Order: sequence, then structure tokens, then C-alpha cells
Amino acid sequence: MRIGIVCPYSFDVPGGVQNHVMDLAEALIGLGHEVSVLAPADEDSPLPPYVVPAGRAVPLPYNGSVARIAFGPVSTARVRRWIIRGDFDVLHVHEPLTLSLSMLAVLSARGPVVATFHTAMTRSRVLAAAQGVLQIVLERITARIAVSALARKVQVEHMDGGAVEIPNGVAVAKFTDAEPLPGWPGECTPGRGGTIGFLGRFTEARKGFPVLRDAFVHLAPERPGLRLLVAGPGDSDDLYEKFPAELRDRVTFLGLVSEADKARMLRSVHLYVAPNTGGESFGMILTEALAAGTTVVASDLDAFRRVLDGGRAGRLFRTGDPSALRTALADLLDDAAARATLTACGDQVVANFDWPVVARRVLEVYAAAIEATDGRVIDQEWVGLG
Amino acid sequence: MPGMWWAVGATLVVGLLAAYLGWTAGRVERLQARAESAARALDAHLLRRAAAAAVLAERRYGVELYAAARIALDARPDEREAAENDLTRQLRAVQLDPGDPDAEAVIAASRRLALARQVHTDLVRDARAARGRPLVRLLRMGRRKPWPQYFDIDDPTLTAPADVPAG
Repeated sequence: MRIGIVCPYSFDVPGGVQNHVMDLAEALIGLGHEVSVLAPADEDSPLPPYVVPAGRAVPLPYNGSVARIAFGPVSTARVRRWIIRGDFDVLHVHEPLTLSLSMLAVLSARGPVVATFHTAMTRSRVLAAAQGVLQIVLERITARIAVSALARKVQVEHMDGGAVEIPNGVAVAKFTDAEPLPGWPGECTPGRGGTIGFLGRFTEARKGFPVLRDAFVHLAPERPGLRLLVAGPGDSDDLYEKFPAELRDRVTFLGLVSEADKARMLRSVHLYVAPNTGGESFGMILTEALAAGTTVVASDLDAFRRVLDGGRAGRLFRTGDPSALRTALADLLDDAAARATLTACGDQVVANFDWPVVARRVLEVYAAAIEATDGRVIDQEWVGLG
Repeated sequence: MPGMWWAVGATLVVGLLAAYLGWTAGRVERLQARAESAARALDAHLLRRAAAAAVLAERRYGVELYAAARIALDARPDEREAAENDLTRQLRAVQLDPGDPDAEAVIAASRRLALARQVHTDLVRDARAARGRPLVRLLRMGRRKPWPQYFDIDDPTLTAPADVPAG
């Protein structure tokens, strides 16, 4: 199948949507399809061979943050040319309701269009003012995909339409093959040693870092050699000042890490802790930790419970309760067999989030969109499902 | 010569109005045609599922499932939704073994049917919204074709991919 994918955000800046687009494109190519990705980027920036740059993106304050987007007559002409040259069987746009290449592509397209909605954004003020324009864009979309239940809910309630829910995939191999950081995770025997990991904004309340900090501060004195590895955006002084002075040398802060280092970091710990107190719609990081073969300890939130298969693939503790977390940590660090059981189950769970599996589900949506456009039915084999 | 400017202005307004009406008519037609294609695709997927269920029922599970599949295949348009729901219920009642290729075919056909139905519902909604606009109704655009109809059945997905959390 010839597939054209449009990414609204520039590949020059890392981000969730960009990673999703790249992983999806690579998985589809791996399944034997021809894929071309159109994205804003400078002509001379280093890009994967399947990406077609659509020119420089301009930073524009949008919806409360700064988005780097490309929009205007020059971009429109480039999008048109790409669509005509590409002769695609299906066009797959991401976030078509932002003022971006995606919207331009939808407006220029004639055939089947599949749209993926990533954020659970409601109508922005800019777009609410242009209700008619929004309707014209939505009307040209044949099939919609939402990456989370929350994004789907917004579709149903605000955009007046359904969407197929297909979660983000995980590039499992990138995590299983990652090399642990030198000197990590170190020894872990009953009563001694062990490494605990946390990734994310430790300053943000709903990420729940204080819960983990409390548990660590109480557990560390009784457990010599216990270490904490923290990665994520933030200032190291803010992190350290909350820990008692004698424990500070047992806390290591990596700062903001790249995708590759994230995988290495997840491989460098015995237990990955997700102490979130709410607001996570999916729990991507949990699937990544599972892919890295790391034991996961997570708050008992709905989304986390679903990812962890009700607790079979990872230990759940009462949300926001440091002493429950501390007990769970102490138990698991002492019990290598229990950790192995959890990770074995985690391998099975994560296999279903592997990109080739997710990409096959996306291909079925492509087939549904093509069928709905010209009424002919596509064979199972052609979609690539055995 | 103010008269000439009046004429120019009036021509311009009429021209713009004609362009808008032409565009709207094209839009209604396009959405309508698309809803029809989606209905054809949905029809094909319904037949595929029923056929796959009949093949499976002949080998295993027996008469009840077979009868439900036949009834779904032969149903008149006004009975079809009920017949399809009945087939879904029968399929849910039997324990499908995903290892059996015939059962796997039914599961796959159901999954594709669920997608076709979702897309059909969305496209019918778009088409009906366009036809329901006051100007479109007033000028009776698209009147040569009947209003696109929803096909209202239960979600035919058999095994919610166990793998994927609903959230």
C-alpha cells in the first residue's frame, strides 16, 4: 500500500507526536508498505530517508504553548505537490485540527483520509471562532483514530463523531536491547542494595514524586546500598534540597534524557516506580519500563491497573500512600523470584503494544477508510493480517 | 454614472452567491456519495461475517448458529439490524477457539465489520448534517437521493483485543 503520513510538528524538536509518527512509519515499512512522511523541517536537517521536508516551521504561540508549525500559501503548494507526486492509497494525518500541514493536507486531499487525534484537546479558542472551517476539515476525514480513551471521549463529546481507539505502540526492541548505564543497577540481595528509578517532572504534583521520596527516605536507612535514579526536566538543587543530607549521595540525577538514554536508564534499575496521583490517561512510561524488562511498581490508578493487567504484570500500591509504597519496595527488592514472575507477565503484556502489532491495527483502519471511499472491499491478506 | 456601479455590485453579489450555492451543492453530493460507498462496504462486511459464521457453524457449534447466520444473510432490509444483532449474540454465546482457522476468520471478520460500522456511522452523520442545513433544505439540494440511513447494531467485536487496555 502507498501511504502518505503528515506530521504537523517539526522533527527538529523532539516530541510525542513526532516519535509516534516515526515509529509508525518504520513499522509500516517493516510490514512491506511504501511510506512517505511529510513534516516541517529545514532542507538541510538530517532526516530519515522516508521524510520529505516541507520547509522551515515558524514558532507560533498557540493554545497556551509555542508550536512550531508551517502554514500558508508556500506550505499549501508543497503539500499539494507532495500529495500529487505521492499518488497515495491512503493519507494519514496527525492532529488535523491544529493550524498545520495536517490541516492543509486534509483540505487538499480527495481520497481516503485517516486522522489520528493524540491530545485530549478540546476546541481551542482560535478554532471555536471558525466553527465552519472546522466542520469542513472534519468532513473530509474518513476514519478517525484516538490514541487514548480520553482523546476518544473528546471526539465523541465535542467533535460529534466516533473514533477507533488504538494506543501508542512501544518500540520494544529499542528497550530490550538497551545497554544499562555503566555501574548500574548494581547488586540487589535480601536486605541490601537495589536501585529504584523515577522518570518525569519531579516538581509536578500529579506525578507523585513526594510519595516516592517519603518511601525512599524511610527505607534507605534500613537498607544499606539502596539507590535512587531520577531522570526528567528540572533543577538538581530543587531535587536534592528535599532529601536529608546523609542520603543525598545515594540519589543520582540525570536531568532531561534523550530517548536512547531513557531506554538505558530504564534498564539500569531494579524497580521502576510510577507514584502518580492522577491525571495519567494511558501510562506510556509503564509499557516502556515493561519493555525494558524492569519490574514496575505503580499507583493503583485505573489506567495503570489496565496496563499492568490488574497487577499481574506489576505491583500496584494504594495511590498517594508512602508507607504502602515502602512496603511494596522492600518486599520486591528482597524477592528476586517475585520480580521475575512480574516481568515474565510484563513481557506478554508489552508484546501487544509492540509497533508491528499496533501498525497492523492501523492498517485495518486504512482498509476501512479505503473501502468507505469507493465501496470495494479489501482482502485480509492485503492488509497484512495472517 | 451610479447606475453602472449598481449593476457591477449586483453582478458581483449574484456571482458570489452562485459560487457558494454551487459549492454547497457539490459538498452535499460528495458527502452523500461517500455515505453510500460506506453503506456498500458495510453491506459487504456484514455478508462476510455471516458467511464466515455459517462455514464455522457447519463444522462445529451446530444448528442454532447456522440458522442465525442464514437468517442474517437472507434478512430483508427492515429486519436486518435485528438479525445481525442475533448473530452477534449467537457468536458470543459459543466459545470461539482462536486457534481454529475458521473461528479466527469469524473473529477477524467481526473486527473489520466493527470498523466498517464505525466509519459508516460517522459518514452518515456528516451527510445528514449537510442535508439538514436550512439553505440546503430550502433549495431541496440532493433531493434525488433518499436520506442516508444509520445502521444501528450492537458493537460486533467479539474479543476486545485482550491485550489492549480499554484506557
